[in-house]
Amino acid sequence: MNEKNSDIFSRIESYYSDYGQRAKELKNEGKKIIGYVCSFIPLEIITAAGCVPFRMRGDIHEPITKGNINLETIACPFYRSCFDLSVKGRYDFLDGSIVAHACDSMARTYAVWKYTLDLPYSHFVNLPHTLSKSSMEFFNEELNTFRKSLGGFAGKEISDDDLAEAIGLYNENRDKVKALYELRKPDPPIISGTELTKILTVGASLPVAEANQLFDEVLEELGKRKESPLKKVRRIMIDGACVDNIELVKLIEDLGGNVVIDTLCNGTRDNLPHTDIGGDPVSALADRYLNKINCPRTYRENKEQDLHKDLESRFGDIGFYAREFKADGAILYVYKYCDPFGFEVPARKAYFDSIKLPLLYLEDEYSAGTIGQLKTRIQAFLEMLG
Amino acid sequence: MAGCVIGIDIGSASSKGVVFCDQKILGSYVIPSGGNYKLTADKVREELLSRTGLSLRDIVYTVATGYSAKAVTFADDLRTDISCHSKGAFYCFPSARTVVDVGDLHSKVFRIDDKGGQLKFLLSGKCAGGSARVLKVIARVLQLKVEELGALSLKSRKRVDFNTGCAVFAESEAVGRIAEGVAKEDLLAGIHRALAAQLYSLAERVGIKEDFALVGGGARDAGLIKAMEEITNLDIFVPAEPHLTAALGAAIIAEEISNA
Repeated sequence: MNEKNSDIFSRIESYYSDYGQRAKELKNEGKKIIGYVCSFIPLEIITAAGCVPFRMRGDIHEPITKGNINLETIACPFYRSCFDLSVKGRYDFLDGSIVAHACDSMARTYAVWKYTLDLPYSHFVNLPHTLSKSSMEFFNEELNTFRKSLGGFAGKEISDDDLAEAIGLYNENRDKVKALYELRKPDPPIISGTELTKILTVGASLPVAEANQLFDEVLEELGKRKESPLKKVRRIMIDGACVDNIELVKLIEDLGGNVVIDTLCNGTRDNLPHTDIGGDPVSALADRYLNKINCPRTYRENKEQDLHKDLESRFGDIGFYAREFKADGAILYVYKYCDPFGFEVPARKAYFDSIKLPLLYLEDEYSAGTIGQLKTRIQAFLEMLG
Repeated sequence: MAGCVIGIDIGSASSKGVVFCDQKILGSYVIPSGGNYKLTADKVREELLSRTGLSLRDIVYTVATGYSAKAVTFADDLRTDISCHSKGAFYCFPSARTVVDVGDLHSKVFRIDDKGGQLKFLLSGKCAGGSARVLKVIARVLQLKVEELGALSLKSRKRVDFNTGCAVFAESEAVGRIAEGVAKEDLLAGIHRALAAQLYSLAERVGIKEDFALVGGGARDAGLIKAMEEITNLDIFVPAEPHLTAALGAAIIAEEISNA
């Protein structure tokens, strides 16, 4: 490992373990830091307002305690962990938080966040649940409302040009993530799932221009890897919501699988879809967030009235990525009390069956304490794949 | 003789060992796991050798499995008990396609193909709901030996409806029923029914295909077998020594490896 290599990867390690350190520095420089949890928050608008979007993480090593006073266990443990850390002061540098009507845990607890954390700014993005024409019109309006509201807080009117510039930066970001994913296609992959999860997690804690710079450096460094440091073993896909702690991915890789592809919020779901350019930027954002992000919280109408086509139209991206990245098996990883995924588990299982991809379904709490339980199951799954 | 192999299963409650030669069981041994798994593992091997009259030189390969497989420091290889149970059950019943293992820590269900290859599996949750632990809990409450539960349960004429297969809730529910004056056998039949319902639901989630085999320590309980037959409406296949299935499977894997 040369000097520069150790430099970029140790920087990522440091940003990962002391999550939010760069945001704190920026806060001290007078920037406004806006926290969010879910893929449905239009980051382009936050960036265009001159603020810094910051993806809040949970911490599976920190038992949820104070957070449980205001959020009952019916709320999913990932979201409760994020809230618990906020109450305990982990994210005290935030100037605001934005919540979207993504899942029930988020929508029904917005007031709890707002009044418990009492940040200078908070906003609820009312995200429709269908893709009908009226939904798109509604969401368009909703994004304009957010644009005005945040502009008011930031003391800046957000112009179409500001938005177009931010859209450009984020599209660039998604190209770089795509380039990182390309490094997972060889067998063995050039980059491990553990490394990539760390890189993407860190990227979501930085202003987009800095994340772009960081990804460039990582790509340059990885370009020098002539040989993969990994073994040629079974190629695993992870499907699910947000896996922002590396332990699960690391566990799979420690047990002798390579995690090569995902359909996770902080993976392909969030990081790959582009925003169209050239037209009205708000409509383009509305389309990008509501239509292109394929999350079970959105109802996708099946016009064919046929189960197989229904599965294909809802989960086709899973099959697409599984083929592109030559997955040998998939792990569907769902948090307890996650309503959007919880309801959809049987349909997702049926889809995995239909594409003949062996599947391990894991329901988990958001806690490092359950790693031992997962270990046996994952080990047995890898033994089964042979 | 080409050489013999050993399969050892260090479970959370008891440890089992099987000596396997030429696709046949030569001997077996079971002891409580206790607190020192390494000593337990050593003891199992020692006892297996003395019972079969073999020496260490005769053992060409050893595979360890179970909750504390790592404590078997002399093992040549480790496998999860999930893989081992499938192998063991298939050896006993080549027609088995669905296998339910009733363990002390977890229950598990497997679907296997016509070559014994594993297709799917599912484990019960992290609590003791649906595991054999509930049988021990009830035995203690009723001051019976766990081996006595099955025969007594079969005598029931008026089964009590139990709301839960959870070992913790079952205890308090059982205490309440005893206070009401319910007969022991009716209470046991209710517990067996509740446990069978949990196992059945677990099996339904991977999809049941006949034949249906029940293995693991819990499958020694005649009351549970009867309850499973009633709730699934199927013939339930139970090996003569169901608690040995994982150790047997480990031994089969050991033989496959040593022959490869």
